[in-house]
Amino acid sequence: MNLESLRDLWLTYQSTVAFIGLNGLLALSVYTTLACGQLSLGQAGFMALGGYTGAILTFHSALPYPVVLAAAALVPALLAVPLGFPVLRLKGVFLAIATIGFGEVVRIFFVNLEFTNGALGLTAVPQRTRVWMIYAALGVALFVLWRLRGSRAGYALEAIREDEPAARTMGIHADAYKLAMLVLGAALAGLAGALEVHFTFMVAPSTYSFARVVEMLVYAVVGGTAIFFGPAVGAAFLTLLPEVLREVGSRVGLQPGPLRPFVNGLVLLLVILFLPDGIVSLPRRLHRALAGRGAAAHAP
Amino acid sequence: MRFAGRLTLVATSLLFAALQARAETVKIGAAFSITGNAAVYGAQQKAGVLLAVEEVNKSGKLKGITLEVIVEDDATSKEQGIAVFQRFINRDKVSAIIGPTLSTTATAADPIAQQSRAPVVAVSNTAPKGITDIGDYIWRVSLTEAQVIPSALQNARAKLGFKNAALLYGNDDVFTKAGFDVMKAALEKEGIPIVEIQTFATKDRDFNAQLTALKGKNPDFLMVSALAEQAAGIVTQARQLGWNVPIMGGNGFNSPAFIKNAGQAAEGVYVGTSWNKASPDPVNQAFIAAMKAKGNDPDQFCAQAYTGVLVIAEAIREAGMKGGRDDVKAGFAKVKDLPTPLGKFSFLPNRDGNHAAAIQVVKGGRFEIVQ
Amino acid sequence: MGQQIVNGLFLGSIYALFALGYTLVFGVLDILNLAHQAVFMLCAYVALLLVGSLHLHMFAAFPLAVLAGGLLGVVVDRVAFKPLRGRSDSNISGLISSIALATILEAAGLQLFGPDVERFPLGTVPDRSVQIGGAIVSELQVVIIAIALVVMGALTFLVQRTRLGRRIRAVAESPLAARILGVNVDRVIAAAFFLSSALGAAAGVLFGLAFNNVAPDMGRAVELKGLAVIILGGMGSMPGAAVAGFALGLLEVFTVAKLGSSYRDAIAFGVLFLVLVLRPHGLFGKAALREA
Repeated sequence: MNLESLRDLWLTYQSTVAFIGLNGLLALSVYTTLACGQLSLGQAGFMALGGYTGAILTFHSALPYPVVLAAAALVPALLAVPLGFPVLRLKGVFLAIATIGFGEVVRIFFVNLEFTNGALGLTAVPQRTRVWMIYAALGVALFVLWRLRGSRAGYALEAIREDEPAARTMGIHADAYKLAMLVLGAALAGLAGALEVHFTFMVAPSTYSFARVVEMLVYAVVGGTAIFFGPAVGAAFLTLLPEVLREVGSRVGLQPGPLRPFVNGLVLLLVILFLPDGIVSLPRRLHRALAGRGAAAHAP
Repeated sequence: MRFAGRLTLVATSLLFAALQARAETVKIGAAFSITGNAAVYGAQQKAGVLLAVEEVNKSGKLKGITLEVIVEDDATSKEQGIAVFQRFINRDKVSAIIGPTLSTTATAADPIAQQSRAPVVAVSNTAPKGITDIGDYIWRVSLTEAQVIPSALQNARAKLGFKNAALLYGNDDVFTKAGFDVMKAALEKEGIPIVEIQTFATKDRDFNAQLTALKGKNPDFLMVSALAEQAAGIVTQARQLGWNVPIMGGNGFNSPAFIKNAGQAAEGVYVGTSWNKASPDPVNQAFIAAMKAKGNDPDQFCAQAYTGVLVIAEAIREAGMKGGRDDVKAGFAKVKDLPTPLGKFSFLPNRDGNHAAAIQVVKGGRFEIVQ
Repeated sequence: MGQQIVNGLFLGSIYALFALGYTLVFGVLDILNLAHQAVFMLCAYVALLLVGSLHLHMFAAFPLAVLAGGLLGVVVDRVAFKPLRGRSDSNISGLISSIALATILEAAGLQLFGPDVERFPLGTVPDRSVQIGGAIVSELQVVIIAIALVVMGALTFLVQRTRLGRRIRAVAESPLAARILGVNVDRVIAAAFFLSSALGAAAGVLFGLAFNNVAPDMGRAVELKGLAVIILGGMGSMPGAAVAGFALGLLEVFTVAKLGSSYRDAIAFGVLFLVLVLRPHGLFGKAALREA
């Protein structure tokens, strides 16, 4: 393999690599609230806010890209605060529904916003994102979550996730933690949104649908929400899987078609039923299954 | 001398081999929505391209050059569109790309082709802005709404003589919104007052509320910018509400699926079109016959995709039978009055397509050209 | 004005029917079944096949499609929900599991039927209209509203007056207590899913007939509206779902008439939001959420 064909190989698959990173960020943004037991499905709305903020700043200001990205993360984070107050009081399914509603309201808002051409969105956005930036952002996010895990805040989150009323009686300010996680998730989604917009040259409301959020949720759950890097693994796996299937399928003569969502759905179902802690728990399970033979059962 | 003899032999065989190598393959990448929201159009486009490539190769008009087309699914999604373009450009090393199906996908994928200096022929992107503007490697065969609607409107007005109008459009789709902008501008240019504007979302099935509101303002004429699915629903529900106002649709109506799904309600609906299906032009008739022989009743999208391949073939010919990317690009500029099912085709200086548009009316379950 | 009321009631009756299914399962299991919309869509296709390919009359096709929906609902329960019953986070995992199944079913629908919109063959539905006051009402609309009301009435009767209904209410109140009292909880849940999905199927067929439009993505459009309806009506409350369904239909239609159609969908979510913030249990729901 010479240099030229390596370069071509990179260019061919560059966008796939980029999207693995972006999907990883998005999966992590869903994970932040899952980590304290809340299911927030409004990430598409935060992502839209980040994407549009980024594009508008790029067109109407001369700010350097890092500043634009910071703003794109900040705007949805700020909006998450007034959203969080009324909404985090709700339990489980109600929270999920409320956040779905929020995401849709944001999308419809942008569809009707003349300033950004409504449904047409903004095009010819300069491609300021490089793949390394995406992975740098992902790295930072993972690092933050990793430090969080071992810290006191991390334990508090786990306590809230396991049993919120009990955590409260122990003096943990559950409300503050849940809000903080919502804000963090919003910032991640906003950042991913801006990075994506400056990679795909355009921003339009159709990107930010409920279906997109479901995808993000699938990545997080399939990867595994017990470990901080689980969602990123899920994102990588599920972004790659259709590509691999497509390559294989085209040799065998299969049409891609509905295959991709079908596989996504099937993998999600299998995971949730049989591997609820996600792919990342697979090595541990296999190890236990192999080690457990003949030996007395160990405490979980 | 022996040496001279051997030298001549080698030279001749080398020359021979070089001449043989002239039988080269030029690859074209076709990115269409085989799945996703725009799948309705993608299937027709694929059929059009495959037929065109087959015919061009059989005709031998590109002496020694064989066209090979690779069709991939853009899944009506930006991400897939980008990925497909990347594969075409960097892995398959195509000389030109046809597609993608929707304008939305194009705005994300075309810049990549422009950056990599690979020519793109848009065959179904009709948003007036944001396509050919991307750069000098992006060319377009499909007429934009701005090229079709104004003359169709004038034609309709001359026939029906209406005094005012109302508008209904899908506000969350690039194409239908662009169509609306053109319709509104055209009405204003003609000095026709607009009494009411209503919108809907692409996923909507129920238009009764909007139609009732529009009907209440009593317009003489209704212009609708919608994709084929919604078009059928809108027209059906309007007639069910007892509203017999003349209706004119944009390019989205231009599909047999519209007539099939709207049934009786489609009668009398006006639609501007890039493709005059009834044109007696022999190139057009031959195209229709060949498509029907393959079991496919062609629609406008099919005709445009077919033309896209013809244009690329012509560009290769104009470039001196050379099939490299820059050859094709240079060749495009030289395409003039090329006979296609769409009529005599040329490119405008801004790389948009240029050929005569027409207006149709639905009569007896088929599109009929209005003279 | 009158016309818009007719439009609103018509739309609302379908919303109500769909939401009833949602709320029935939620009342019994405390779980949102997001595969409901996939059943909605698939059974519309079943009816389409029965009428189109087998040339059955709608009178026969409708109950068959509804039956198919019920059976599919039991499958959904067995595959997506039953295995998760013991788990502590069954609310969220059940939700996710139903999302997974919905995705699979939608993809299956897309594979089997293709992406194109289908319509019922000409003559499946009556074509006539009648003028009442200033409004034009089609025979089809009247039939649909009537069927929706009849189905709702039948459901209410079933839940309030029959033994099965009593058992369903018992399980909804407390599965543990019901089990102690000798109720076969598993069977009752299966029955609830059967009924719920039968309702969804009915809504799907009527929707397909109403707008003469059957497509693999038709469930998506209604799914989110359905959520707004059950929140407004109160999760777990059947009269709530019915009332809220009609209310939302009317609200949407009048939003279009007065404010313009751009904000039609935003209204549904705006209402959803307001209700969740101000009065989470909706119009008719129980004040406290049952603990597992």
